[in-house]
Amino acid sequence: MMVSSSKLKAQPDSTLVKIPAGAYWIGGQTHQLNPLRKISLANFYIGKTEITNLQFEDFVKATAYKTDAERLRNAMVFEPGLAEFKWLRDSTAFWRFPNGRSRGGIENKMNHPVTSISYADAEAYCKWAKVRLPTLDEWEVASRAGAKGTYFWGEDQEQIGTYANIWNARDHLTADVSDGYMYTSPVASFKANAFGLYDMYGNVFEFCEGSLKNDPKKRKVVHARGGSWWCSRNSCGFFNSVDIGRVNPHAAFSNQGFRIAKTTPN
Amino acid sequence: MAVITALLVPVVAFSQEELPWKEASASSQAYHKYRQKSTIPPYGLAKVKKLISGIVYLEGDGDNGTSGLGNKTYMALSLREKFTYHMIHAEVSSQNCDVSPPILEEDKKIFGNLPDAFDEAAWSERQENFLQSNRDSVLALIKASVSRTNRVGLNYKAAIVQVNGKEIIPFLIETYKRDQKDYDILTVLMLLMKKGEYKPFMTSASFVKLYGSKSTYLSFIDYNKANEELIINRATAFYNGPR
Repeated sequence: MMVSSSKLKAQPDSTLVKIPAGAYWIGGQTHQLNPLRKISLANFYIGKTEITNLQFEDFVKATAYKTDAERLRNAMVFEPGLAEFKWLRDSTAFWRFPNGRSRGGIENKMNHPVTSISYADAEAYCKWAKVRLPTLDEWEVASRAGAKGTYFWGEDQEQIGTYANIWNARDHLTADVSDGYMYTSPVASFKANAFGLYDMYGNVFEFCEGSLKNDPKKRKVVHARGGSWWCSRNSCGFFNSVDIGRVNPHAAFSNQGFRIAKTTPN
Repeated sequence: MAVITALLVPVVAFSQEELPWKEASASSQAYHKYRQKSTIPPYGLAKVKKLISGIVYLEGDGDNGTSGLGNKTYMALSLREKFTYHMIHAEVSSQNCDVSPPILEEDKKIFGNLPDAFDEAAWSERQENFLQSNRDSVLALIKASVSRTNRVGLNYKAAIVQVNGKEIIPFLIETYKRDQKDYDILTVLMLLMKKGEYKPFMTSASFVKLYGSKSTYLSFIDYNKANEELIINRATAFYNGPR
């Protein structure tokens, strides 16, 4: 059987990393939604990398699943030139064309994280793969890798470029490829944290399970963490272990993805 | 699936006594809520609300991401009804980091940017185009509504910035001075000066702190009488300057 060259290059790492049970400090001293506190966690396992396009394709092929973006035509895409926090709705965008058909597909990006999927889509993948999303607390413990600061290396934001694919320009009016990538990068392109986990910051916002005290009561919202390729020091700054994002459960952005977790290894 | 074990053992990295969590004061929390409030326009409100509640949701959980009225229904609305629709309903999703979290001493700060007016939603291109294309009417409707309520809701502030409403600067200052507690009106004044590239503001220390290369979307200057007067005086001079 013929295998495309892009697939030969794509080698997503499906390794799970065991995070040992124990007591952990999480949160921030002044963070009002994620207060500094001590928690206890049982052993859990978390993906070494974000779920890739290749992995998501396996799911779609096995189930004929249609994502929210395909059914609702509600994907939000980015192109340079937009004002801060502005995204465009593009009815042609979905995970195979994360920023719309006119901006190209993922044929040569099978080892990049899957994007333009919603929380509901991530949940569907997890159900099929018999895994789950990490909880907000698990994600934070995994991202910190034993560290106590805002970042897993401490407080110096200038080190972010070593560990994360983010937006390095002052604004989003012109393309930023200063770290080699404007949109997503292949998973594990940047240095891992002390637990051996890649892209905990940047690349894509990672959906988590859990709620916050200020979540609205009349509608469902979901949360994602770690920032993304779009996030810049000036506009978002969520590429850290403290901040927690909030989004509609059916919203599909080209900077949203996920990594998996499990309670037991098998 | 291969499994590897993280090398680090769990550690209690720092003691609670060393770094206790600081909760925002009651007044700060109250001001955070105050900042988020929008103004509900009265124009055709019952009709518009009914139309919004009739948007068809495809998902079992009663949500399909944010969505808008069909084009035919939308086009049939009068200008005033469209204004109400845009002020109470945003048609597309906003991303994860768009919702500003509460922070310490929020009630003592003048921010460089406004909070997000619609939580997990944002105005679509259609909505922004409407506001821009009808800016005179939009500003007139906002002024009429604010004159009745003495409140410039967050949605109104966002619309004023969106349409670059320089001409209502005196009205904004007059409204602010009534109770001098909505510092986000001062933020609107600064955003208008920024949009207008008003040199005395662009070269000021405040501008560098709020919008300079090291600023973030949550950057602020302290609220005090001197800063308040400076912003108002600069905005007045900007308004009175060359048109």
